[in-house]
Amino acid sequence: MAAGDYVYGIHTGERESDMKSRILVIEDNEQNLYLVKFILEKNGYEVCEARDGREGIEMAEKIKPDLILLDIQLPVMDGYAVARTLRTKPDLATVPIVAVTSYAMAGDREKTIAAGCNGYIEKPINPDTFMQQVEQQLCLRADGGEGK
Amino acid sequence: MLMALLIFAAQAALIAALFFNLVRRRRTERVLMVKEQELQKHRDHLEALVEERTQQLRMSNMEMMQAKEHAEAADQMKSAFLATMSHELRTPLNSIIGFTGILLQGLVGPLNDEQRKQLQMVRTSANHLLALISDILDISEIEAGKLQISRENFDLRAAIDKIVQTCRPLTEKKGLRLEVAIAPEVGELYSDARRVEQIILNLLSNAVKFTDAGSINISCVAADGNYIIRVADTGIGVKKENIDEMFKPFRQIDTGINRMYEGTGLGLSICKKLLELMGGDIRVESEWQRGTTFTVSIPAKGSQT
Repeated sequence: MAAGDYVYGIHTGERESDMKSRILVIEDNEQNLYLVKFILEKNGYEVCEARDGREGIEMAEKIKPDLILLDIQLPVMDGYAVARTLRTKPDLATVPIVAVTSYAMAGDREKTIAAGCNGYIEKPINPDTFMQQVEQQLCLRADGGEGK
Repeated sequence: MLMALLIFAAQAALIAALFFNLVRRRRTERVLMVKEQELQKHRDHLEALVEERTQQLRMSNMEMMQAKEHAEAADQMKSAFLATMSHELRTPLNSIIGFTGILLQGLVGPLNDEQRKQLQMVRTSANHLLALISDILDISEIEAGKLQISRENFDLRAAIDKIVQTCRPLTEKKGLRLEVAIAPEVGELYSDARRVEQIILNLLSNAVKFTDAGSINISCVAADGNYIIRVADTGIGVKKENIDEMFKPFRQIDTGINRMYEGTGLGLSICKKLLELMGGDIRVESEWQRGTTFTVSIPAKGSQT
């Protein structure tokens, strides 16, 4: 695996000098939040965090992130409800939402997409492909929407 | 005088006869009454018996209904339990696999060789544990009839290439030749990408697992609207009497050296069920100590059902 190890470092080294994409991570598990935050920050992203669904929505309205990583099983308000609510807000309707969840039963992926998510990353995340999956969603947005 | 005596005698005889007759009839009547009473007793008893049996039947019917309800509730609880369990087990695994991965990437700082080696062992074990959890979840969903097959167009050639890349380090480590032959006509497949990859990966890693010398060959051709994928190895093979056992869950065939090969023994039964759901099939030919060939057929445009 040694060859692929530094791929993300190289990516971010070039792209992050002038503009730092802001990513909101909504996740209630302490360790999982630390893990995702660590990877994203090491790759040059600015990370904001929220520990439950309602806090996630408030934070999203406040900071207008470029991408939202959303756990599904959350206290107060689950991820499906968060995604549906975010999609009703005009200034947040186009922000890509990626579900990061350990729900892996049949139909779970479809349910997140139906709730308004753009992508789905299954837990446990694969650290060797995680950034690629995240950046793919950011790129789609950069291609489709107008600026950040 | 004589006449009068005679008449009296006759009358007496008649009265006696009548009397005896009466006594006999009384006796018969008494016997009849006793019999009648006995009969009534039997009749009553029979009625009670029928009533009792009906009651018993009603009870056992109710018990059966209750048992059925219990079984259904238990089945639902089992499904809910599995869903929760799967979620609960994956959450700590996310940390284990995630942190091991970023340590190995050097994101945290440089590692020495021994640290790298040990972390790789942690990663291998964690991935193995994850595979076991996924297998158990799959087989439970299949048995509950809840597993759904999604359908989308995807590039079968790219999928096979990707899996071959995943397996190549293992074959190189064991000194096996890994030959790939994908016919030029192999392209798009309309099926469940994730499940098709799961099947191919399972067959290929089985081949690597059970082969110690020689080669593994994977090929793919198109024929009659189907894609035919063949995975052949020169491994330990399977005895004729065990071939039917291979696709049954939890049957890792006793290879003589018990449990030498790790795994749940669920992989092939999952593959078979998945292929049935996709409208395809899987066949196996094997010769003990010579090798095994699996042939998978998948409808290129999805199943008709």
